Amino acid sequence: MELLKLLVIDAWFAWIPAVGFAMVFNVPKKMLIYCAVGGAFAHSLRYLLMHFGIPIEWATLAASSSMGFVGLYWSRKHLIPRPVFTVASIIPMIPGSYAFTTIIGIVELNSGGYSLELMQVIVENGLRTLFILGALSFGLALPSILIYRGRPIV
Amino acid sequence: MELSKEQQTELTRIAVKAGQILHQHGAESRLVEQTTQRLGTALGAQSIELSVSSDSIVITSLFNGNCITTTRRCYDRGINMQMVCEVQRLCVMAEKQLMDAGQVKERLQRLKPMKYNRWLVVLMIGFSCASFSHFFGGDLPVYITTFFASAGAMILRQELAHRHHNPFVNFASAAFVATSISSLGVIYDFGEEPQIAMAACVLLLVPGFPLINAVSDMLKGHISTGIARWVFATLLSISVAIGIVASMTLTGVVGWIN
Repeated sequence: MELLKLLVIDAWFAWIPAVGFAMVFNVPKKMLIYCAVGGAFAHSLRYLLMHFGIPIEWATLAASSSMGFVGLYWSRKHLIPRPVFTVASIIPMIPGSYAFTTIIGIVELNSGGYSLELMQVIVENGLRTLFILGALSFGLALPSILIYRGRPIV
Repeated sequence: MELSKEQQTELTRIAVKAGQILHQHGAESRLVEQTTQRLGTALGAQSIELSVSSDSIVITSLFNGNCITTTRRCYDRGINMQMVCEVQRLCVMAEKQLMDAGQVKERLQRLKPMKYNRWLVVLMIGFSCASFSHFFGGDLPVYITTFFASAGAMILRQELAHRHHNPFVNFASAAFVATSISSLGVIYDFGEEPQIAMAACVLLLVPGFPLINAVSDMLKGHISTGIARWVFATLLSISVAIGIVASMTLTGVVGWIN
């Protein structure tokens, strides 16, 4: 019951960035609701998996690939290209904070001189950014890599 | 179906226009390639060969041994999914023979990018970054600081983008403004952990779409386009980081790496 409440709170806070960024990408009005549902679904799925101790990269891969297949269904139904829903839906999971920490660390490394702690921060955050980002894009691309090989989806 | 030389030229122009619109509004290379080829063959060409690079497309249409080649430069017009949807719909309609070449051309020329009301976008982006601050474990005062910092940055970003400023300058100044506003929260000790607001308020400047497009281009075989997009996204992130560091040096508030 406690977990369910946490999941609902997580889903509530995840649909807002999904719709916000969908509006920056000018997703058509009728499709905003799908971005909201997708964002809430994908982020709360990742939260659930991480709650059971799965590392963030694998949880992200699972969440983004299920989003890829959900997007496949919606895109066949509405005859609309997949990135319209899927990219906005996974925006809440993009590792922006890790990426900026990495680059700010590099800037500090130049101004403040080399230190082992700083280097640790840079390498750990940088690698996490790369792997999470790879998991996100690879998960979204799975349907067209596995099922629609070279064929158009809509 | 028989095509005269003029008809084939016309068809090539229509197909390249569709590809150009898709490329300019942020579609991935695979989508540009497929849609252009499908539109060209639907209008009667035997085959369409297409080369997509990071800032231009080259297209050749074939019909009975006749080749017509044309090139279009694709300037970035900003991500607009509504345009991508419209072009895709035209392509599907042409494939089902619901439209002929003239109609497709007319519809393509009539397409106008739809934009949401800018104040609505500012409001939603403010709430989005505030939600990110919740994910980082912030309380209500941090939520409020983040909202105002990111809304301010978004207003500046839209204003500079409207005046066609360089995107790197735009992102660096927006990051500077966001970090400066949220560092006020640290100075006046607003909330439990006001540093969280400094981390959350710049997340509206993460180049998410270019990064996802870059990796999916590389996965689907368009390596050079993918690398170009990746470099562009990395440069954007670097300019955001420069903006953050500039603001932190000026105000003396350290919110990122202690």
